[in-house]
Amino acid sequence: MAAKNSGIDQALIRDLAGILNETDLTEIEVEQGELRIRVSRQGTQMMAAPQMYAAPAQSAPMQSVSATPAAATVPNVNNVPSPMVGTVYFSAAPGAAPFIEVGTKVKEGQTILIIEAMKTMNQIPAPRSGTVTAILVEDAQPVEYGEPLIVIE
Amino acid sequence: MFHKILIANRGEIALRVLRACRELGIPTVAVHSTADSDAMHVRLADESVCIGPPPSRDSYLNIHQIVAACEITGADAIHPGYGFLSENAKFADILEAHKITFIGPTADHIRIMGDKIEAKRTAKRLGIPVVPGSEGGVSDEAEAARICADIGYPVIIKATAGGGGRGMKVARNEEELAMALATARSEAGAAFGNSEVYIEKYLQKPRHIEVQIMGDGAGKAVHLGERDCSLQRRHQKIWEEANSPALNAEEREKIGMICARAVAGLGYRGAGTIEFLYENGEFYFIEMNTRLQVEHTITEAITGIDLVHEQIRIASGGGLSMSQEDIKFSGHAIECRINAEDPRTFVPSPGKITHYHTPGGLGIRIDSGVYAGYKIPPYYDSMIGKLIVHGRNRVECMMRLRRALDEFVVDGIKSTLPLFRDLVGNPDIANGDYDIHWLEKYLAEKDAAEGIANV
Repeated sequence: MAAKNSGIDQALIRDLAGILNETDLTEIEVEQGELRIRVSRQGTQMMAAPQMYAAPAQSAPMQSVSATPAAATVPNVNNVPSPMVGTVYFSAAPGAAPFIEVGTKVKEGQTILIIEAMKTMNQIPAPRSGTVTAILVEDAQPVEYGEPLIVIE
Repeated sequence: MFHKILIANRGEIALRVLRACRELGIPTVAVHSTADSDAMHVRLADESVCIGPPPSRDSYLNIHQIVAACEITGADAIHPGYGFLSENAKFADILEAHKITFIGPTADHIRIMGDKIEAKRTAKRLGIPVVPGSEGGVSDEAEAARICADIGYPVIIKATAGGGGRGMKVARNEEELAMALATARSEAGAAFGNSEVYIEKYLQKPRHIEVQIMGDGAGKAVHLGERDCSLQRRHQKIWEEANSPALNAEEREKIGMICARAVAGLGYRGAGTIEFLYENGEFYFIEMNTRLQVEHTITEAITGIDLVHEQIRIASGGGLSMSQEDIKFSGHAIECRINAEDPRTFVPSPGKITHYHTPGGLGIRIDSGVYAGYKIPPYYDSMIGKLIVHGRNRVECMMRLRRALDEFVVDGIKSTLPLFRDLVGNPDIANGDYDIHWLEKYLAEKDAAEGIANV
C-alpha cells in the first residue's frame, strides 16, 4: 500500500523517525508548503483515527497497534477503513460532482463518500483532516467492514 | 431453489450449512468479524464479507450489516445456524421486508415460542403435555399458595422473560414459597427488566428428552424421533444420544406423533425441536426451539436424513421430501461436544491449536471448523467441534466412541476430551442410567474426592 505514495521524500521521513527515537518524543509534525508530514509512535494514531482502531483497542487495550503483526491487516495508518458493509458512491447523486478527488484537502467530519446499505445512504465523514492521496475503491463498488477506502495524509 | 445463500454464523455450524449448500449446488456467502478472517467457513465459502469488529453485537448480531452483505453479494436467502440471530423475530421480519428468505419459521412462530408463557399456552392448546402450574404470571402470594397446594410441592418459580437458569427458585413447601417468590421476582427484574414470574411443578430426577420435527409451513409435518440430552452442566448439554436409552418404540411413536400433529396444526415451517422433561413415563413440555440445534447430527445419523438439506428445500418452497412412513430409525448415535475448556474447572481455554488429529473409520463424523495452527479467538462460544458416533446398537456405539475418543488429539489448548474419556467408561453412562442432575453431581463428588476447589 505504502508503495503507491511515491512522490514523498522518504529520507525526510527517516530523519524525522530518527529524531523521534533519539528524543523519545511520541509525535513530530512538520509542514513545508503543500507537504505536511507527521511521524508518531504507537498509541497516538488511535486518537487520530478512533473509528479505525476502536475494536482492537477494546479487545486488547494493552497492545500497541503499530507494533504488532496485526498491523499487516491495516497496512497503512493513513488508510480510511470502511465503517460498514455496503456499496460505495463517490457523489451524492448519479452524475453529480464527486465529494473528493486525489489531491482534495479534506477537513475532519467532511463527507468523503457515501455508502449505501439497506436502502439508506450513509455519508462517510473524513476521520481527520488532510489531503486525499489515493482513492482505493471504485464508484459503485461493494465494500466490507474494514476495507480501505481512501488514503488521507 | 435459491440463487445464493448467506450463512449468518461462524464456527462448525457455518461449515455444516456450507456443506449442505455445496451438495445442493448453491453458492455461499460467509460473513465474519475481523477476528474470524482466517476461519474455515470463510476460507471455504464462495464469497466472504467482513461485517464488523470482534464483539458479536457489532458483527454476528448486527442485522444491518448482514442485510447489507446480502445486498452487495446478491444472496437471496440467509441460513442463521443456531444461536446469534437464529431465533430473532425482528431479524426474520426485516429479512421479509427486504425480500430475503429466512431459512427458518415465520417471525410469528419465533415470537410465540420465544415467550415462555405464550409457548406453554400454545403447546397445551396443540395437545402437547405440559408441566402443571400457573396459567400465567403470578404476583399474589395467596394465589401462588393455592396453585402450589393444587399441583403439589416441590415447585419451581421461573421468570417469564428468563432463560439460562437465572430467576429460578425452588420451594419445597409452603414455608419456603414466600421467600422463593420474592427472590425470583427481584432476580428476574434485575436480569431481564421484567419481574413477572410463573410457577410449575418441580420434577426431581427428570431426563431431558426432545423431539425433532420438520414442518412444510402448510399443515404437513413429521417427527424424526427423539434425542436424550440429560447429560448437562449448568444447563449446557455436553453429550446427547439418539434415540433415548429410556424410551421404548411405543413411547417414541406416541410422543413423536403428538409433536408432529401439533406442529402440523400450527402450520409450522422448517426444523424445530420440542423439549421435554421426562419423569416416571410422563412428558412435560419445557420449550420449543425454532431453529436447527447443535445436536441435530445424531438425528441425521439414525435417520440418514440431512436436516439442513431439508430446511433449505422447505424454505425454497419445495415442501418436505419425505412422509412419516419414510422415516426409519437405524442404530444408535452419540454426540460429544468438544469445548476449548479445562475438563475439570471448565474455564475457557482460547489460544492456538498446535496439533490436531481427528478420529476416522466407520460410523465416525466430526463437525468442526478448527485445524492445526488455528487460533481460537476469545470472543465467542468455546465449542470447537462435535464428535458424532453411530453404531448398529448402543453397545457398538459406545465401544466405537471409546475408540474414537482415544484417537482424538487436540494440543496447545485444553479441551473437554478427557471428560468424555472418563464418562464413556462410567457404569451409569454405560447403562444409560442418568438424569439431568447426574453430571453435576458426578463432577461435584469427583472434585470433593480429589480436593479440587471448583467455583
